Amino acid sequence: MPDPFRLLEVLVLLTVVVGLLGMIWRRNLFLRALAMDVMGTGAVALFVLVAARPGLRTPILGRPELAEGAAGWADPIPQAVILTAIVIGLSIQALLLVVLTRLSRLDPLLDTASFESLLAAPQSHS
Amino acid sequence: MASTLLANLLITWLLLPFAVAFLAALLPRVAPGLALLAALTTVLVGSWALLGGAFELDLIGALGLQLQIDGLAAPFLLLNGLVALAVLLDRWGQTATGPFPVLLPVLLGGLNSAFLAVDLVSLYVALEVVGITALLLILQKRDARQLWVALRYLLVGNAVMTLYLVGVAVLYLHSGSFRLTALADFPPADHALAVIVALLLVGLLTKSGLFLSGLWLPRTHAEAPADISALLSGVVVAGGLCPLLRLAGQLPGLQPVLTWIGLASALLGLLYALLESDLKRLLAWSTLSQVGLVLVNPAVGGIYALSHGLAKGALFLVAGRVPSRSLTRWPRQPLPAGLALPLGLAGLSIAGAPLLLGYGAKQLLFSAPFGGFAGLPVATAAWLLPLLSVGTAAVYARLLWVPLQPGPLLLAPGALLLVLLLLAPLVGSTALALPASASALGKALAGVRLPSLPLPNLERLVDLLGGMALVGAGLLLVLLGLELPLGVEAEVVARRG
Repeated sequence: MPDPFRLLEVLVLLTVVVGLLGMIWRRNLFLRALAMDVMGTGAVALFVLVAARPGLRTPILGRPELAEGAAGWADPIPQAVILTAIVIGLSIQALLLVVLTRLSRLDPLLDTASFESLLAAPQSHS
Repeated sequence: MASTLLANLLITWLLLPFAVAFLAALLPRVAPGLALLAALTTVLVGSWALLGGAFELDLIGALGLQLQIDGLAAPFLLLNGLVALAVLLDRWGQTATGPFPVLLPVLLGGLNSAFLAVDLVSLYVALEVVGITALLLILQKRDARQLWVALRYLLVGNAVMTLYLVGVAVLYLHSGSFRLTALADFPPADHALAVIVALLLVGLLTKSGLFLSGLWLPRTHAEAPADISALLSGVVVAGGLCPLLRLAGQLPGLQPVLTWIGLASALLGLLYALLESDLKRLLAWSTLSQVGLVLVNPAVGGIYALSHGLAKGALFLVAGRVPSRSLTRWPRQPLPAGLALPLGLAGLSIAGAPLLLGYGAKQLLFSAPFGGFAGLPVATAAWLLPLLSVGTAAVYARLLWVPLQPGPLLLAPGALLLVLLLLAPLVGSTALALPASASALGKALAGVRLPSLPLPNLERLVDLLGGMALVGAGLLLVLLGLELPLGVEAEVVARRG
């Protein structure tokens, strides 16, 4: 029987790799953005997993009898860190979608190739 | 008592740019003055640190944030303040439009935090703040090209920061700490350490625009508005460089890898810059080349980044005002003297002409305790480094042969300020050495015309992402394959030192 923690760790890291490969191989920009979000989900899941290693109980002070249980507390530090990262990830995702919406006016299919030609055109002066 | 006062002062200084940003949104009329104040305080703190001031801030306990002002951060802080000052001067008198007055202080503050952060989580947050702010600054004009460039920047930047975050999580899993110092405590030849370092490195290398993971840089810096390019090429890349130098200091066993990446980046950027026909793209490729040199010798990397950032900031500020960006038209098109002066001095400084800051920095780079290139014969290194200098001189020689048009000297005040600082060594009279053979050779090369080689286009989105993935995978293989006894070597070096 493999260590369940190891197993979960491998699965979570696979999620990150799948997201990365999706970003590289998909041609549609929206799917690329989605793949980026899959990567982000993997990173969040990894932090949650790391936090759950010492135990599963929510690290919030509650009634005294709760503190006597056999199970250990979850580690609050990675949870606090990942909260910050989730907020940052959300705002970046929002920005990305705004830019994609603007770009979809040029090509509603959001195919990467149709935007690459933008930069091949001669330089505008700025 | 004095240390509490100092701590409070430093926290105030760190928070000042963000307060300025809020006020700038509420009171647009005082915004430029306040931003100037924030930039000036950064210059002051940077100078203080350069003169030997050091301080460590531990906020919210042992697991909390750790910020450190020291000699390593000093040149970067100084650079940050000065480039922001120059960009503000460049815009002085124009009515500010759009979000620029709010975003500039946020960028300043975010970069300050990135230079001081010693724990990886603060660094992550600071780099993301810098990245988002830079994105919004690029997007000021919102035409199709800028939207596309911004999207690429966002996709690549966020992908690598996610990988970085995974590295941070694995570090916490193995050491229970987010501190950079925790990296030195691993047992020798630990595979986990190799994975962590590879993930952190791919994030930082991409953020600072190095080698294949930095292929996003030339287009992004060339398409942004000129004064934003000055900020991006001058200091934003330094946001990744400073932590890289800290990492190199923590793991001396890593240095050969970084030196090689730096050298590869220098050569790649140089090759593309030599064959580029657009002014801003030439400058951006040259940035990719110069940040590589920063990594070659971390002992003086900060000073090199300072001298390059000042000059590159001036060059981009001038590039926003020249009549044409096309270098094919360059030799026939007279350039007003007010633009040619900062352009010439800044170009000469990066090329390593004597009497300028760039010359001193270049001398330091190859003379200060320098480990050389692991696996490369000394004889090869002995001609490779002058070759790099000559190549850089040849790149900038293309800009310097331009007909002059007499006129007023004060056309680009911001660029002029930066260029005057490049002359600082003249006053210090430390660099009054005679021209080195390398720069003399460069001058000789100045007239050489290069054949136009068809270089592969490495700047499609898939290349950017692929380059990043390639560098990451390569790093992982190298670090695992070497079975880097990082801990052991670090100890040996520490004992030797």
